[in-house]
Amino acid sequence: MIKLFSLKQQKKDEEGSARAGGSQKKASAAQLRITKDLNELNLPKTCNTEFPDPDDLLNFKLIICPDEGFYRGGRFVFSFKVGPNYPHEPPKVKCETAVYHPNIDLEGNVCLNILREDWKPVLTVNSIVYGLQYLFLEPNPEDPLNKEAADELQSNRRLFEQHVQRAMRGGYVGSNYFERCLK
Amino acid sequence: MASPSPKSPEQSEKNKQYDRQLRLWGDHGQAALENGHICLINATALGTEILKSIVLPGVGAVTIVDHNIVSDEDIGCNFFLECSSKGLNRGSETLRLLLELNPAVQGHAVYEPAEQILRDNPDFFKSFSVVIATSIPEKTIQDLAQHLWDINIPFVLCRSVGFLGSFRIQMKEHTIIETHPENEQIDLRLDVPFPVLAEYLDAFNIDAADLKDHGHIPWIVILYKAVQKWQKTNQNRWPMSRKEKNEIKDIIREFIKKDENGLPIEEENFEEALRAVNTALVPTFLPVKIQDLIYSSSAINLTKESSPFWIMCSALKGFVEAEGKGKLPLRGVLPDMTTSTEHYVKLQSIYRAQAVMEAEIVYRKVQEIVGQLHCDSISEADVKLFCRHAYDLHLIKGSNIVEEYRLGNAVTSYIGRYLEEPDVMMVHYILLRSAEKFQSEHCRAPGEWEPEGDIAKLKTCVTKLLSDISCTPFPKDDHIHEMCRYGGAEIHSVSAFLGGCIAHEAIKIITKQYKPVNNTFIYDGASTNTATFTF
Amino acid sequence: MADGEVQTLDYQQRRWHNIRKLLERSGPFCHPDFEPSAEILDFIMNSCKVLIVGAGGLGCELLKDLALMGFKKLHIVDMDTIELSNLNRQFLFRKNDIGLSKAKCAVEFVNKRVPGCEAVAHHCSIQDLDEGFYRQFHIVVCGLDSIVARRWLNGMLMSLLQYNDDRSLDQSSVIPLVDGGTEGFKGNARVILPGMSACIECTLDLYPPQKTFPLCTIANTPRLPEHCIEYVKVLQWAKENPWGSSTSLDGDDPQHVAWVYEKAQERATKYGITSVTYRLTQGVLKNIIPAVASTNAAIAATCATEVFKLATSCCTNMNNYMVLNMSEGVYTYTFAAEKRPDCIACSNTTRSMEIESNATLQAIYDKLCEDKGYLMKSPGITTIINGRNKTLYMSSIKSIEEKTRDNLKKKITELGLYNGADILVADVTTPNTLTIKLKFSNNLDDDMGR
Repeated sequence: MIKLFSLKQQKKDEEGSARAGGSQKKASAAQLRITKDLNELNLPKTCNTEFPDPDDLLNFKLIICPDEGFYRGGRFVFSFKVGPNYPHEPPKVKCETAVYHPNIDLEGNVCLNILREDWKPVLTVNSIVYGLQYLFLEPNPEDPLNKEAADELQSNRRLFEQHVQRAMRGGYVGSNYFERCLK
Repeated sequence: MASPSPKSPEQSEKNKQYDRQLRLWGDHGQAALENGHICLINATALGTEILKSIVLPGVGAVTIVDHNIVSDEDIGCNFFLECSSKGLNRGSETLRLLLELNPAVQGHAVYEPAEQILRDNPDFFKSFSVVIATSIPEKTIQDLAQHLWDINIPFVLCRSVGFLGSFRIQMKEHTIIETHPENEQIDLRLDVPFPVLAEYLDAFNIDAADLKDHGHIPWIVILYKAVQKWQKTNQNRWPMSRKEKNEIKDIIREFIKKDENGLPIEEENFEEALRAVNTALVPTFLPVKIQDLIYSSSAINLTKESSPFWIMCSALKGFVEAEGKGKLPLRGVLPDMTTSTEHYVKLQSIYRAQAVMEAEIVYRKVQEIVGQLHCDSISEADVKLFCRHAYDLHLIKGSNIVEEYRLGNAVTSYIGRYLEEPDVMMVHYILLRSAEKFQSEHCRAPGEWEPEGDIAKLKTCVTKLLSDISCTPFPKDDHIHEMCRYGGAEIHSVSAFLGGCIAHEAIKIITKQYKPVNNTFIYDGASTNTATFTF
Repeated sequence: MADGEVQTLDYQQRRWHNIRKLLERSGPFCHPDFEPSAEILDFIMNSCKVLIVGAGGLGCELLKDLALMGFKKLHIVDMDTIELSNLNRQFLFRKNDIGLSKAKCAVEFVNKRVPGCEAVAHHCSIQDLDEGFYRQFHIVVCGLDSIVARRWLNGMLMSLLQYNDDRSLDQSSVIPLVDGGTEGFKGNARVILPGMSACIECTLDLYPPQKTFPLCTIANTPRLPEHCIEYVKVLQWAKENPWGSSTSLDGDDPQHVAWVYEKAQERATKYGITSVTYRLTQGVLKNIIPAVASTNAAIAATCATEVFKLATSCCTNMNNYMVLNMSEGVYTYTFAAEKRPDCIACSNTTRSMEIESNATLQAIYDKLCEDKGYLMKSPGITTIINGRNKTLYMSSIKSIEEKTRDNLKKKITELGLYNGADILVADVTTPNTLTIKLKFSNNLDDDMGR
């Protein structure tokens, strides 16, 4: 405990009076934290990041090129938007590449628990990268976002694999058209 | 693109204005509040702060009883006075400014002193839902408390001195159906499934389900199946001990599907089942608290004047003894769980239908009783609400403030016990009582003129009070000194804190929702400490 | 000052008699440094500047409470305007005020009601006000419902801290933050001495995360009415864009709410789910937190009492976090929240680094890796220039490394750094990003403050 005010203390400096070194804008807690997260980003060899503006660490892209599993040979781009309430709230992540995947819908929404209900402030961008990478190795038909794809994966793995291939080469699966995304 | 024009459901002005509180006590709570009528005796800062937080949410009416003339000191700490109020009646001035907060609230000001009303027109108090008093002398406290006790009107006595404050709620009896407990006990009847539920649960075959269905089996079913399997080797007992519950967990783990390497596949529903073992295997039982309620004399010896609560308790007793086979009506609420929509909706409708059926039985019993008593009818919706909350019904049996002031044996030993503890909150109670005694003996608050001279006098009051209590540990002298420092000053932020709390309790009393303080609350703003005592 | 005489007499008026007893008398529980005197009230009235952040449920109460505790130099900031649903608790506003600035309306009311009160309104967001503005206050008291805003304010007050050469805190730069929050029948109040006791960031995990549901549940296995509403909000709106793709969902637009309500009902009916109501729809869409006058009054009053104690030392402060629960009886619990030694906000004491003004960024990088005080592995260096973030060098990210590699060769002044500028350095060797102030060793003209 300190005595903050003595009666002798004069009125505080009037508004606008700048003290030495005082006017540089301070980094927000979110900014400090994301800088730390990114500096320590340890990407698996199948992943890469792209910063359209290297000065803007809050908006970037993650590119995943799986080297095994159904999605081998594909190239999938995710956009990351880190908000001012990071890490209290998770970044907003969307898949920008159209993909035939049980856990990713055609609007690019991704069903990954740590992006929503299981997010905790101790998690980092790295945790999300690994989570997304895992989705391509082990698509999870039990938490489907694209129900058609999930049902197919469970009932006819062979057909599912064909459809994933067709989508990645560019073409229709059912009534939905997928842009080519092979490397 | 043409704008879509969805039909906006009618939302009344009032619903919009009260939206944030309706989410706490519902439309029926609001209706009860709007039928409430509060009487405030003495519009001190504490008094108006209380009324403020009752007028804003829309109580029906307020009546202020105050014969005092507005002073400079009043204006200094009471927000509901203006400079121009000086010299005018304090009740009518504060009322005028309080009513600005909410045009829907009716208001009245009465200029006679409370003592005079008590003497000349005691029936005056009969029409109120709650009577609240601040700054009244010892003698009036007791006269008023006794009268309100006799006519069965809830009474809240409030004080605010320096950093200290308190309130005491006097109610003969207060019954609550909606207590809004933070953790509602779940009521699933897995140990005693009713026929439709048993049929539904038995129809599942965990081993036969394919991977997708397997991941959608509700944990209730998993738990039920695990217990059934366990019971085969355990004489059909119900698992009770920790060891037995661990055995249930082992069985659940066996149910989990394995991948090609023999490793368990992550399935959220099975994780939920494992977590639920400790909470959901509690056997269905009649809580002692509820048993006491339905077998209390108020529920057994009904009269024409019995409240709906007791009539419903009596009907509940009838249900428990007959159709319920010793159990309360089913709550009919299913917690959310990982499963398919189909399973969930089906299971939910099974529980709901059974709950509706059981509540109907209780309702028929209520109707019978009402017919026998020739009293006012009780709606089916009220009975359903009652059954839905049957596990959490709550009764507060109050005590008379006069008994507390008389310091009978029970009261003194209660106070003595707390005075022996290192915590000083009971000391504050003694000080507030002593200061009241001081005021009645010296016609001023301790330290009102200057603090030092009154320390000894206040100490005499404390000693007198404590000798009645016949306990040795004295409140330390520095607390007496501090009370004299306050000199009876009313500090706005202290009154504002208490005002918020007391308004809150008054709303609980009027809406009969949430449990109010039983029955004395002490606040020390200096140490930011509070305590609740039950006299 | 022309009416100086009136002002000095103000504190002697009879109406302040209650408060004067606390301030002009000594008591056994006073702060050890407390010297009772009539001047304390004069200080409260005529010198002590208090900023109230938020003019909502808590802010209205705080303004009233502090005005009646003698404070006159009050400022209040809020960017919101008054809505009908505020009137059940924000008691300084009337139906006629709907649409007006909360801050202005509140100030007008209290200045009129409490003679001598000189409250000033700021109808803007807290981020619109700069360091110079915040520095003028003795105490900041905050009644917000937003965690982001709280964190921002916390960061601002931390950034105003000054450290002595021996890296000890200059206590005169400490602006205490008293913070209150409510949710339904629950609330909390706390006292933060920036740099000295637990701050908002230290206890971030005390704030419950917003309730969210798994996306796949919303999409495929809805069970609760909330799931149906979330579906329309998260997935269906973006798919159908009922008002065109440029219009995002606005929970305050009754047309939007009605649309969501209608679609959520359709979905619920399809799945056999009951009880999608308009009230629930609105609640989920706007993440409405229930609020009632009484809880706000109690929490604001607790904060006001603490502000009064801080300003006068007439009593020791709460240590340092109080929780209030009024749903079963009235229960409070006060505990000492602990300051985290690795807190990203309050343990980020600015260090300084001496460097020649004509040095290159490489020189800073080398210092960070080689100097005994740092010994970093691969520091990422950023800064803020003219309010914009700038990444100076970061080796761990390939695309950034490529774009910032050339910076290493550049002189730091070419990069926009100046004497007194802060650089932010992240490295595996430190738990947090460090703020390092550059000190030019051969500096002649002082660029500080630019």
